[in-house]
Amino acid sequence: MRRTGVVHRYTTYLFLIFAVYCNQAGLRADKPTVDNIDFRKLIAPILQQHCVGCHSPENKQGNLSLTTFNDLKANDFVVPGSPSTSHLIDLVSSQDGVKPEMPKKGPALSEGDLRLLSRWITQGARWPSNAIIPSPPKSQKTWWAYQPLRTTSPTDRDARLPVSNHHPGDTQAAAQVIDYWIKAKLNENGLSMSPRADRQTLIRRLAFDLHGLPPTPEAVESFVRDSNPDAYRHLIDRMLNSPRYGERFARHWLDLAHYADTHGFERDKRRDNAWRYRDYVIDSFNEDKPYDRFIQEQIAGDVLWSTNEQATIATGFLAAGPWDFVGQVETKSPELRRSTRSLDLDDMATQVMTATMAMTVNCARCHDHKLDPIAQREYYQLRAVFGKVKREDRVINDTTLQEYQKIHEALIAQLNKIDHALGRLEGKGLNLADVVGGGNGFGTGNYRDGIDARNAKVQTRDFGKLGNVVTNKFSPSAFEFIDGVFIPDGQNGAAVIPVSSTGITITGIPTTSGNAWDMIRNGPVASQHSPELDGIDFTKKGHAFLGLHANSGITFDLAAIRLASGDDQLRFDAELGYFGADDGSYADAWIFLDGENVFEFKRLKRSDGLQKLKVEIPAKTRFLTLVSTDGGNGFGMDQIGFGDPQLKSPQVTELTKVDFDRLTKLRDDRKQVQARLQTLGSPPRFYGLVADNKLPAVQLLERGDPESPSGKPLNPGAFSVLTMLNPNLGTTESPEGDRRAALAKWITSTNNPLTPRVIANRLWQWHFGRGIVDTPSDFGSGGGTPSHPELLDWLATQLAHHQWSLKAMHRMILLSNTYQQQSNHQPNHPAMNVDADNRLLWKQTSRRIEAEAIRDSVLFVSGKLNNQLGGPGFEDFNYQDAYAPIYTYITADKPELWRRSIYRYIVRTTPDRFLTTLDCPDPANLTAQRQTTTTPLQSLALYNNEFVLKQAGYFADRLKQESGPHKEAQVHRAFKLAFGRSATDEETRLAMDLVNRQGVFSLCRALLNSNEFVYVD
Amino acid sequence: MTFRKPATKLGDQLPRLRTGSRREFLQMAGGGIGGLALSAMLTDETLANGHHPAKAKRVIQIFCPGGMSQVDTFDYKPELEKRNGTPFDPDGKLQFFASKPGNCRGSNWKFRQHGGSGLWISDLFPKLANCIDDMAFIYSMHSKTALHGPACFMMNTGFTLPGFPSMGSWVTYGLGSEAEDLPAFVVLPDPRGLPPGGIINWGAGFLPAERQATTLDTSNPHLPIADLFPPQDFADASPESDRDGLDFLNKLNQLHRRSRSGNSQLEARIKAYEMAARLQLSAPEVTDLSQETSAIKKLYGVDHPEIGPFGRQCLLARRLVQQGVRFVQIYCGAENTTARKIRPNWDSHEDLPRDHGYWGAVLDTGASALLTDLKQRGMLDETLVICTTEFGRQPAAQGGKALGRDHNAGAFTAWLAGGGIQGGVGFGATDELGFKAVESAAYSYDLHATALHLLGIDHTRLSFYHNGIQRRLTDVHGQIIPQILN
Repeated sequence: MRRTGVVHRYTTYLFLIFAVYCNQAGLRADKPTVDNIDFRKLIAPILQQHCVGCHSPENKQGNLSLTTFNDLKANDFVVPGSPSTSHLIDLVSSQDGVKPEMPKKGPALSEGDLRLLSRWITQGARWPSNAIIPSPPKSQKTWWAYQPLRTTSPTDRDARLPVSNHHPGDTQAAAQVIDYWIKAKLNENGLSMSPRADRQTLIRRLAFDLHGLPPTPEAVESFVRDSNPDAYRHLIDRMLNSPRYGERFARHWLDLAHYADTHGFERDKRRDNAWRYRDYVIDSFNEDKPYDRFIQEQIAGDVLWSTNEQATIATGFLAAGPWDFVGQVETKSPELRRSTRSLDLDDMATQVMTATMAMTVNCARCHDHKLDPIAQREYYQLRAVFGKVKREDRVINDTTLQEYQKIHEALIAQLNKIDHALGRLEGKGLNLADVVGGGNGFGTGNYRDGIDARNAKVQTRDFGKLGNVVTNKFSPSAFEFIDGVFIPDGQNGAAVIPVSSTGITITGIPTTSGNAWDMIRNGPVASQHSPELDGIDFTKKGHAFLGLHANSGITFDLAAIRLASGDDQLRFDAELGYFGADDGSYADAWIFLDGENVFEFKRLKRSDGLQKLKVEIPAKTRFLTLVSTDGGNGFGMDQIGFGDPQLKSPQVTELTKVDFDRLTKLRDDRKQVQARLQTLGSPPRFYGLVADNKLPAVQLLERGDPESPSGKPLNPGAFSVLTMLNPNLGTTESPEGDRRAALAKWITSTNNPLTPRVIANRLWQWHFGRGIVDTPSDFGSGGGTPSHPELLDWLATQLAHHQWSLKAMHRMILLSNTYQQQSNHQPNHPAMNVDADNRLLWKQTSRRIEAEAIRDSVLFVSGKLNNQLGGPGFEDFNYQDAYAPIYTYITADKPELWRRSIYRYIVRTTPDRFLTTLDCPDPANLTAQRQTTTTPLQSLALYNNEFVLKQAGYFADRLKQESGPHKEAQVHRAFKLAFGRSATDEETRLAMDLVNRQGVFSLCRALLNSNEFVYVD
Repeated sequence: MTFRKPATKLGDQLPRLRTGSRREFLQMAGGGIGGLALSAMLTDETLANGHHPAKAKRVIQIFCPGGMSQVDTFDYKPELEKRNGTPFDPDGKLQFFASKPGNCRGSNWKFRQHGGSGLWISDLFPKLANCIDDMAFIYSMHSKTALHGPACFMMNTGFTLPGFPSMGSWVTYGLGSEAEDLPAFVVLPDPRGLPPGGIINWGAGFLPAERQATTLDTSNPHLPIADLFPPQDFADASPESDRDGLDFLNKLNQLHRRSRSGNSQLEARIKAYEMAARLQLSAPEVTDLSQETSAIKKLYGVDHPEIGPFGRQCLLARRLVQQGVRFVQIYCGAENTTARKIRPNWDSHEDLPRDHGYWGAVLDTGASALLTDLKQRGMLDETLVICTTEFGRQPAAQGGKALGRDHNAGAFTAWLAGGGIQGGVGFGATDELGFKAVESAAYSYDLHATALHLLGIDHTRLSFYHNGIQRRLTDVHGQIIPQILN
């Protein structure tokens, strides 16, 4: 439960419960060292755990309550000072090896507890007058989920076949065990299984289950006709071996990881490297990575297998959720930062524990868990595991990055060479704005990137007024064509301002405010009044804009440019202007060649319009310096800009035939280099965690309030409720990575019963629509109990037997008769009276496919699905950078947008409306189970959305291509593609009628809207 | 939904209704009812009578994102005026969201008393001042955070994290809709862009997607709801082919259902297409403001270039609730916009007179027109109008010109009117400078609890199981504020 800053109503209660867990965590000493027994700390927990469950005012068994002292004293249950005459001690002590009389339910008191009770009575049985012992939490450690896996064997001899790993026949035997348990429950309730579904139904069901796509008509046909008795098993194997399988199951897992490609919150910034984790998940499923390894990698792969790139990328799991840039970085308020950080840690801890072990640990953020035996302290100990990490883009590893950079630089050098050669032949000038954006002068720079005039650093985000300004300091740039930058203050002409790395200086500049705004940019500066002057918008295509807000200066290295371009003769052309508001503001603009003033325009204002510049540059000149100063009236609005700033050869030469051939060749070369760059992709970074030892140690936060830390820094730890495991994960001194590694091992320990149970249950849910436990991410006492407990434990056990292979588990489940049952039945089927909910699985449950599966299936049937695997997500929106970026969706109508939905670039603040309408969940939530609703808006979306309409059109085109001009043939093909079956005579008649009236498009549109298209039997 | 009493004893066997189980429950109880999943538009799945008799039948909520200043609008602080220009934080201990506090700065608009109640309101709202006797003010609102995103989430969903259902989703989850042919929950975003945190401010969170808000667009008479009709330039889709296609679809679905009569969801989906067709008639009609008289249009200022967009949303809101729409949320301000003229919302860090001046005029006309119009039609009694922001602003000045104010989670003012609200009252108080709520401090929980109460819902009993917890709009908090009720 998320709550902060509230005075708690259950203070006493909490105090006592807390004491219980302190004891369980090891404080209950067998040899107490304190003389005076502390009732609250040591005695109350014993009574609470063992007694008040039955002996309380609400449940006064034996007409006795142990919540207060009254009844105990009244009946001589406790005689202060005399344990031997206290009846209580008799009742709870074992006599001659016979089980003590009390407690009736649950285990006997330990020797240590007995000694404590005796000593307490000896010391006078002090019971503070205000102490009331609350009832124990509803669930104690006896809750089913915390017990070791039970390996109950079926009593049926035939079903008790040994099940080993790889032999497929054994998977078949395992499937029989599944059926055994299902049938046993059905028998108990007088029910029986439904008949096996026909092959047409089975292959369609399998295709959606395993791939999230319909089967092709050819696949249906060949399966239906396959006479091999193992045809079904072979089909399963084929499907599990297809990359479509990983794409399908990654979607399930990413739901649990609440993965998206943006941060969320107010400034929903992009996470352009997040996709590598998404691809990791897809690949892991496809490779059938052992599930325990899969979990270990996602929590600590970078530590456990530090040289393995994939294992490092796996930790993107921990960073997959939302992150508030404003609260983490932007705000200056430490309190707000603490609160944001606290929620961030909560998100990580919660995600790990719900996904892997279905424990709702976040309910212990403000107090001990109300339902489950999870102490608040333990929750914070889990947070201590992540206490020294934060979310950030991270290099996969240095070697990979170096290799990448080497190749990248070589390719860029080639590209630059080609571009310069092309530029010379085409008579194109070298664009200095592009150079400022890190480019080669021919468009490879990043629009709106900027260079910081204070230190020559490259910046992508917007700045305002700059702090820490040092004027007249030259900072050399790392860019080849830029020598460096500076912030000028002429001091009434007296200042000698260095403007080059070789020590060239300028003088004669007036006094300035010494202030600077934002960066020197390839494009408009932050809060640019307008990039337009004299009717030319320099941000439009075909134009370039170098934003040089006063006060700043930049020096270009002409020697380097000449070397690259091969041109000795250069001229600087630009349209200079004041691009700030026309409100009386003005600024000065200057141009220097090797420190010599060749141009100045003082008091340049908007109304002066554009100044056409043509500056001839002598061949010996090495440095071109552009400067803007504030004109002495403050630097506000002083947005000096150079429109279309170019260095070009003043001579125009006629091209020869040889030149033309060379042009063609260069353009081809350029395409090749670009293709190689494309293949190389983005730098080997992923969105993950980085260590930061400056982060504060994790303490318990009272009431979950980040402003109320309490006690010492906590050791990293897990949960003592799983008594078979050691919850200790290290100390406050443990290195960050060791903590995560310890947690990963704790979660995947062979003795941990929850981890295999939870994944077995999820697999079951992904095949039946509902888990054996119907709260797949809550195995605590607030959640459901298993409908088939023996089956669940048996499945969980099988996982380890099969080296944690999920594909082996799929095979078992899919081969079972339980799975293969038909879902259709008569409405008056007798089972409806007993189990309308189909909890006992007397049939399969028909299911509507998920939003993504609908979208993918539409593309599949239209023939337009682009099966490109992996890589950065496709963006079916226009992205506009702004303080809060704007994502405007477009109709996906080109091949690169026709990829499977798993490759979508997922935006948190602006979800895809079409998919959301079709029940695609908000990626802010840890979604354990998709919901299905049926709404008129869904009907509108499927019937009228432009994407579906266009695809219906392509579907119609496909029919014409594949079936020729005959309408009836088209109709038949349409049904086969959409439903995997032939049209009936009646359907054919109706469809022909529609096609004759409205064309085949109408038919396609209707089929994509039909119930059969979106429901799987 | 824990309050819906099961129709048969079978319900007693259910320990708890979980995610996705309502449908199952209904199947158990009634053996499957066609159309039962269409409750975005039907009331059959929800409680017709609530937990107790309702005073309000519907809600119009105006949300002013960015953080409206309480001390320049509704919360009169003469002491702040007096200390104008003196240090606010002489010890320099405070650190606000983006700055250290500047000097005290009194209201940028003069405060006056209005109406029979004599409550104070600043000259920023000359028209709203005329409605003051219908409005109840909560002066002691505060938030858990001074960050826009989380604070907007809190005000809308009760939680500072994304992913929780918005108030409109909860209300319609509880009460469904009175409208047969319109969505139950409609949101009218600022035409300039989305608020901080984006669309999920009105998301359904973990509630079923049928509880999502529907966005209506008055500026697009052809397509007031996305996908209501095929794109106009889509040649293959004509009204006639639409109809023929739907007719065929219906027959095809009926044939499909014949062998699957045990599955009631199939029939629900068939019905959904019928309801969609009805929506195609009703949505263009309700969004067609030309049917309004010129006096009404003038009242809402619909033709004004700056005020008009919000005025139109207010007028549309009235038309919607008139048709039985349960919950309408209107945004007065955006965030993700490239509009540069003024701040995109109330977030006035540098120049509050400029930005609050602009947005104040917008809100003043639209909101006052809405109250006036609802009242003269006799609809105000059953329509709860809520106006809020995500947090307030500092009494101290911000910026070089000392014209701005920084974020303030410690205090803001919300007002309510109609639907069982007692007019002309103020509740709670901030300190003498308007810095922190000191008397009867109220969180979103209390406002939400009060609003749900007026709608006949006990906020502690409107819950939905999600990942281990029965979630509520009011988390584990919420006190109804009886002082502002009739």
